[in-house]
Amino acid sequence: MRYGGAAIIGGRAVTVDQRYCREREGNILFRTLGDIGLLYHRPSGQTHIVISPVPEILEAMEDDSPVSVGDLLQRLSRRFDLGPQETALPKIAAHLADMAALGLIRAVA
Amino acid sequence: MKHRVTLRIGPATFRIGSAWSGPIGELRRLYADYPAPSDGSADFTVRLEPAGLLRRWLRPSIFITGDHGLADAAPMSLAHSLLAAEMGMNLQMALGWRRHLLLHASSVEKDGRVLLMSGESGSGKSTLAAQLGERGWRLMGDEFALIDLAAGAVLPFPRLVSLKNRAIDVIAADVPAARMGPLLEGTAKGDIRHMRPRADAVARMDEGAPPALLLFPRFGHASAIRPMGQGETFMRLTQASTNYVALGEAAFAALGRFVDEVPAMAMDFPSGDEAIAMVERLWEERA
Repeated sequence: MRYGGAAIIGGRAVTVDQRYCREREGNILFRTLGDIGLLYHRPSGQTHIVISPVPEILEAMEDDSPVSVGDLLQRLSRRFDLGPQETALPKIAAHLADMAALGLIRAVA
Repeated sequence: MKHRVTLRIGPATFRIGSAWSGPIGELRRLYADYPAPSDGSADFTVRLEPAGLLRRWLRPSIFITGDHGLADAAPMSLAHSLLAAEMGMNLQMALGWRRHLLLHASSVEKDGRVLLMSGESGSGKSTLAAQLGERGWRLMGDEFALIDLAAGAVLPFPRLVSLKNRAIDVIAADVPAARMGPLLEGTAKGDIRHMRPRADAVARMDEGAPPALLLFPRFGHASAIRPMGQGETFMRLTQASTNYVALGEAAFAALGRFVDEVPAMAMDFPSGDEAIAMVERLWEERA
């Protein structure tokens, strides 16, 4: 369900207008092992085991400039079939909010 | 402490003190062949103290203390003092060792390569390593495998092997009495008997080797082997390591490399003989 720039997913609101950028260069070490990705977050010392689409989202944010959920959807759609925009957009927004909560990306004003 | 002994096991040195002579005498006997520490310093201190003022004489109970301790550790009977000493040494390693990535796994070596076996208590990893150690493999450790953070080699930690319940008779049939400790009946883990590794395994306790195969054994099930994906292996090994978090980035790099280079399999087995045959087959296939 969507309300302007926000959507309700899994019982919580996610903002699709929010912009994000990657953590500072060198703050995260990435390693691929088979079909999973390992992220070591240097500031917290935590290891995150991630699966698709987290590595793909991080790769699409590689130029380090802040991107909105809409920008990201465009970039990812060039490589992947993400289905209708109205279902893909809130899903990507939810992923970004989770990644920001873990410290893997930063929300920017 | 009135009675003391200093022991070196692989790269770690322990100073063990006790209010009683019995446990120190038993440790001296069982660790008699181990190389002496190079100087007087020790990495860890373990103290076996009376649990209360009169407990040194009256129904004596031991309380384990040391550099690192557990607040809720229960006192143990003096009759189980050897187990208390071994548990104290394990505790210091698990909580305090920082020079290597420490995996809760047994390890044996053959042809210059190492087979590691990881699993919960009761999985059979310790008994299986002890059996292989009597059948042409070098026993490197039954409890902890130390992974070199830079080179990735496995280093031995050949402490006394702790045999539990049914495993005691199985191993005692293969091993001379001089290498066996006293039977400790009715401990919190059931009956326990310690075994000293073979002399060559002790003499080569500073000699590491690269890892070649990782197994997750499970005793008491029909024979089955399942290749394990790298993601599951990585997750299981972070849980099997006592110092992964403490070592930070160095552990991330070392464990990532280990999982990338070493094939891993889950191995269910119904008996020790079957497990030995399965391990030998897997080792030949790998070669």
